[in-house]
Amino acid sequence: MAEFDATVYQNEFLPDGGTDVNAIVTVTCTGAGSAVTSGGGASAGEIIIVDTSGSMGPSTMAAARQAASTAVGEILDGVWFAVIAGSDRAMLAYPPVSSGPGMVRMSAQTRAEAQDAISRFVGSGGTAMSTWLDLAGQLFSSVEGVTQRHAILLTDGENREDAGKLDTAIQRATGYFQCDCRGAGTDWQVEEVRRISQALLGTVDIIPTPETMVEQFRAMMQASMSRGVADAQLRVWTPQGAQILFVRQVAPTVEDLTTRRTDVNPLTGAYPTGAWADESRDYHVGVRVAAKAIGQEQLAARVQLAIGDDVITQALVKATWSGDSELTAKIDQQVAHYTGQTELAEMIQEGLAAKAAGDEATATTKLGRAVQLAAATGNDEATSKLRKVVDVDDEREGTVRLKRAVAKADEMALDTASTKTTRIKK
Amino acid sequence: MNCPSCAEPLSPGAAFCEACGTPVGAAAPAAPAAAADVAAEAAPFDLTTATAVPGRAAPGAVRPCLQCGGAVGPDGYCESCGSKQPSERDHFGEAPADWVAGVCDRGIRHSRNEDAMALFATGDRAVLVVLDGVSNTDDSHLASLAGARAARDALVVPLPSGMGTADSRAAAVTRTFAAAVDGAQKAIVALTPEGSAQPPSATFSAVVVEGRTGAGGARLHVANIGDSRSYWLPDAGAGVQLTVDDSVAQVQIAAGASRKEAEQGPQGHAITRWLGIDAPDLAPRVASLDVTGPGWVLNCSDGLWNYASEPQELTDQVAAAATSDPQALALALVAFANGRGGQDNITAVLARIDAPAGAPADPGAADPGHNAATADEGETDG
Repeated sequence: MAEFDATVYQNEFLPDGGTDVNAIVTVTCTGAGSAVTSGGGASAGEIIIVDTSGSMGPSTMAAARQAASTAVGEILDGVWFAVIAGSDRAMLAYPPVSSGPGMVRMSAQTRAEAQDAISRFVGSGGTAMSTWLDLAGQLFSSVEGVTQRHAILLTDGENREDAGKLDTAIQRATGYFQCDCRGAGTDWQVEEVRRISQALLGTVDIIPTPETMVEQFRAMMQASMSRGVADAQLRVWTPQGAQILFVRQVAPTVEDLTTRRTDVNPLTGAYPTGAWADESRDYHVGVRVAAKAIGQEQLAARVQLAIGDDVITQALVKATWSGDSELTAKIDQQVAHYTGQTELAEMIQEGLAAKAAGDEATATTKLGRAVQLAAATGNDEATSKLRKVVDVDDEREGTVRLKRAVAKADEMALDTASTKTTRIKK
Repeated sequence: MNCPSCAEPLSPGAAFCEACGTPVGAAAPAAPAAAADVAAEAAPFDLTTATAVPGRAAPGAVRPCLQCGGAVGPDGYCESCGSKQPSERDHFGEAPADWVAGVCDRGIRHSRNEDAMALFATGDRAVLVVLDGVSNTDDSHLASLAGARAARDALVVPLPSGMGTADSRAAAVTRTFAAAVDGAQKAIVALTPEGSAQPPSATFSAVVVEGRTGAGGARLHVANIGDSRSYWLPDAGAGVQLTVDDSVAQVQIAAGASRKEAEQGPQGHAITRWLGIDAPDLAPRVASLDVTGPGWVLNCSDGLWNYASEPQELTDQVAAAATSDPQALALALVAFANGRGGQDNITAVLARIDAPAGAPADPGAADPGHNAATADEGETDG
């Protein structure tokens, strides 16, 4: 049985009149087991969605076939699965059924059959991602008892649908299944695919060249197979009259959960976190409470991890008002670190958007700030990716110049990696 | 050795700094326990805005939040307003009659509540006992509460009156108080750990109110050892301090120092007499006073009077509270002391004396110089 543990990092001391409490809560899961041991009669389901539109070139298609085949190979025996070929409509490539349950359990036989079906993929038609997501949802719901629902989506191009269609499909899928997304080449839209992956609690990344596709698919599927906790919620209780400023996941990636609250009761909100492996995630919670007199203490938040209706672990975020400025002026190291990392993600995304819109002044300022933040918070990955897009004059001051010739893949890699954060030693 | 927090000199072997309450030596927390019972932690409860009435819950029952009345979670915080909940020992109230109530509170800086009180009241008569456990001694929070209850029990029987001469009656009152002190002392000694280097000790202050409903006004009998005090605070006119401290500050005042200077000086809180196995002597200072209401009898620990030593300052706080409910007033006075820093445990016990039926309020109150029947070396300094 999986165990969870929550630890708070904060400076609980507020100055006279202070109202805003910041805390980092690290939630660690151990003993998660794997997707087949999630227990309780629940079982895991995997759907692999491969873009088979006409835009997929021969080498990309070949790599996609191999990658999908590898991913199928990683799915553990007994896990329900299906493969979707996506173009301007979604086609159930495996299992070959037209009614009843649209998924089968993995076995040596079904694995071979699925890999055979994948080997016959050819590219033709357009790209209508809403139909892909909708079919995935239908397949998951066609099998009773599949409670841990995860999909991998590979695309190489832009969605060609009326505006809004994809968003409503994302909404239908949100909270129902999780989806990791990968974009092959440079003709897809980071922002578009990230909308899918963020809503569906997954990751997004670029596969710039076909050779690395197999490894990425293997890693994604292995990660999914290691998740033995189907679905957990982060719950945040705040006192009467308090206001939640934000709830963000800040490690391993920045994901703003603030607007994804559902009320458990008037004082407690639940935020989705999806499935868990043996891992640890950090959450940044900001709460505004009414100021109290010096010397008083109160609870600003209970941050809990819940599976179903059971609260598994809880961490207490406190507020103590103090007249000692040495105590109140300190910013917790973790809070400072992740505040910087969150701003770093924003600066990269906004800077690249400004650059794409031709606003070079804004792009230079924002990417300059990003360089500064990446250096200050020790995010080496962001630093090296930024340096492929800008020339750095002064890292500490954040003075940069936009490079004249930038590989599109480098820009996209910077964009997809913008939400990845580094940790500091605790 | 000096306190690491405020640099005041520490008594040898002290567990807490007597000046600022910082735990020192063995009492200083080594590392915060992982699964802490927050109700036992050293952190303040917000009493400056408390609205709920404190009371004693049934054994085993969780008291509602003292702040808002909400349910209290197993983590020790209110599930509605998030206020930290004090333990039963750290904050409790008693209200044995609608005219008598007290609140005993840990305050802000001390890690536990070593003050104690025990009350008794009928329609006509009340017993108000306050003991302030000395904070650098072992288990003084247990000893002070046991002592207070023993003293109260000894005072429940009415004092002798109506027979003999004034002198013989005064002698009888003195004997009764001596018995109450003896009861408290026995209770404290009984709780003294064997071979304790810092045996528990406590101050003692008791008030017996008699004849509250009588046409001629009420009679207050007070007794004390140490620096817990009782006051008579009439609604109109000057209040008086009924007790005289056994403290270094009092000696200095007697020698001509100003009250403020003496009480806030380095030895301001050193007491010269106390209850406990190492007590120098056990004869309380005894005094009495006839009063005509309306007004308040206050029995309190230094956690309160530290912030309002002069009777007038206390009268001002009573007026600011603007209530005729003793429980509300006790809460307000505790909140006042916490609001001023809550450096020590705070106990405020009150009895309301109404104006005699049909008689106009006497603004002049009583003059202790004429009415006080003093015994022992006691004399009021109001």
